[in-house]
Amino acid sequence: MPTRLALTALVLSCTAIAGAYLLAFLPGGAPPWAAWGLAIGSAGSLSSMMALGAVRGGRLRPVPLAASVLTFLVVAGSFGAALLLPANEGPDAVLVLGLPLRAAIVLYGVGLVPILFLPWMYAASFDADTLSQADLDRVRRAAQERGA
Amino acid sequence: MSGYFEMQVGASAAMRHPAIIGIAVFYFVVVSAIGIWATRRTKSASDYFVAGQGIGIVTLAIAAMASTLSGFAFIGGPGLVYNVGTGAVFLVLAASITNTMGAWVLAKRMRLLGEARGLITVPDAIAARFRSPAAQGLSAVAILVAVIGYMATNFLALGLVIDAMFATGLTLGIWLAMLVTLSYTVAGGILAGVYTDLFEGLVKTLASVTVFYYVLRAGGGMEGITRAIAAVDATFLGPWGKMPALSALSLFFVFGLGSLGQPHVAHKFYMLRDPRRLKWYPALMSVAMSLTLLLYVGVGLAMRAKVASGALPPLARADDATPAFVLGFTPSVVAGIVFAGVIAAGMSTVNSFMNIGAAALTHDLPRAFGRRVTDELRWGRAWTLVLSFAAVLVAQMSGTLVAFLGIFGYGLFASTLVPALAIGLNWQGATREGAVASIATGLGLTLVLETLAFFKVFSLPMGVTVSGLALLLSLLVFFVVSWATRARAASQLDADVKLVMEV
Repeated sequence: MPTRLALTALVLSCTAIAGAYLLAFLPGGAPPWAAWGLAIGSAGSLSSMMALGAVRGGRLRPVPLAASVLTFLVVAGSFGAALLLPANEGPDAVLVLGLPLRAAIVLYGVGLVPILFLPWMYAASFDADTLSQADLDRVRRAAQERGA
Repeated sequence: MSGYFEMQVGASAAMRHPAIIGIAVFYFVVVSAIGIWATRRTKSASDYFVAGQGIGIVTLAIAAMASTLSGFAFIGGPGLVYNVGTGAVFLVLAASITNTMGAWVLAKRMRLLGEARGLITVPDAIAARFRSPAAQGLSAVAILVAVIGYMATNFLALGLVIDAMFATGLTLGIWLAMLVTLSYTVAGGILAGVYTDLFEGLVKTLASVTVFYYVLRAGGGMEGITRAIAAVDATFLGPWGKMPALSALSLFFVFGLGSLGQPHVAHKFYMLRDPRRLKWYPALMSVAMSLTLLLYVGVGLAMRAKVASGALPPLARADDATPAFVLGFTPSVVAGIVFAGVIAAGMSTVNSFMNIGAAALTHDLPRAFGRRVTDELRWGRAWTLVLSFAAVLVAQMSGTLVAFLGIFGYGLFASTLVPALAIGLNWQGATREGAVASIATGLGLTLVLETLAFFKVFSLPMGVTVSGLALLLSLLVFFVVSWATRARAASQLDADVKLVMEV
């Protein structure tokens, strides 16, 4: 079931991107809202792919599931905020950590914030949710039996 | 990229400072020493292609980072930031996610497949997953096409830097770059490649962090840089820079999801000594990449701020941003480390491609036709030589052609390998027919559309890239054909591969 859900989310994400691309072929180019298809679709494709890879024995454990959902929320939220907020990058713009607000949301939100949780969630759940010594031993036994 | 191909005469003269040349010579000596050491330890095809499955996690992560970030990260990337502002950062923005995603999707499965089957190439994994020599052969062809382009681009870039530093002339510079890289790759194989990558990765990181310090110092901090740019061009530091939102987001999609189809990274997972050390791969890789990308983001912004404030005239070519900044705003020693970093970036990328290209010719293509090469070590070395000479000849052709070949490499890898490799290893319902159809779709679409665009016969609308479209369509073809042939899926999966996909 988790595999099917992750694949469905991946296909839907690809469909959203395909929709945005199709709109670009319209006379006069893509309408501004077409970017939403890519914003949601690209966030969805990365997080659903992550979930697909984290499925083990037909189950998606809580930590990888949380990592995937959080990634989607952070990326889609950052891109969405950048699309929704009014442009204000002129000389009097409010700066956040040295960048205008919308650029800061995208560059820090998408480029840095995931580093604060993803690698550490992966490491923290590795033994229980990704690869235990017992799993490794099973694969090695199978390899020996195949070679025998 | 043309600016990089025609380095300014003034910059070339400044690059011949004794400190810069001394550091470059020291760099070549260290690389040669690693090559000699690795050559003595390379005794089998396994040593040559997968370092005898004997490298540690820190080496793996830094080597993967080094081969991922080519010379583009130090020259073309900052130039692109100088030109289009924050939009250029979308090429590397997904790096905060892709390392962890790659660990979950590929690293464990690839390494366990290596354990179960003794695999040595990426097409090997596709063949094992689908029991399909056709998929192995097609993916090997895609890899070869992209590898030649990547190698030629990097040889040309390296030749230009060597020419600028040592006044060798471009042709001799290209040949010297090839001969140095070849000398340690052909003899020491990937073992030499990985350990030189480790050294080169450390040089790149040191260069990037040091330059970023000087970026902040020269620009008056990020706020000073931003205020200087915003005073003359408000859109430059908008969320998408000077690109349409659709174009910037399209780059994020291609370079995000496409990261799962880069064979020079995926191939390295086979080499890890202890699979359970993968636990630290995302953390190490994310930190290393973030530090090494500081130069990419910082230099272009700092140079744009200097131009905006009137402190410098506009650059004749955007790709001169890095040489101009390090020669103008950092001490000679730092400039030396940066130029060594540029050479390191090119060489570490090239040696990875030499190795996977040679493996495609020695290992994958013969197997696709039901044959096996008896002495893969000797033939691997021979094909490394042939590929290198072919790439050097291509590099000496027109700069436009080389740039064209370099552009589609990433997209070609993404569209041909992501569905069959990344999804295939995680979805038991995928089928051989879906894999072959998606690889053929990615290969055909990328070649046809890029060629039509190159000759200006046809171009896609603003916001749609060939690589994005090819990746998207190959994914959709993979899903549709696998779904249509789903009755055959279970019979195409061996028990040991199924186990690797389930643990």
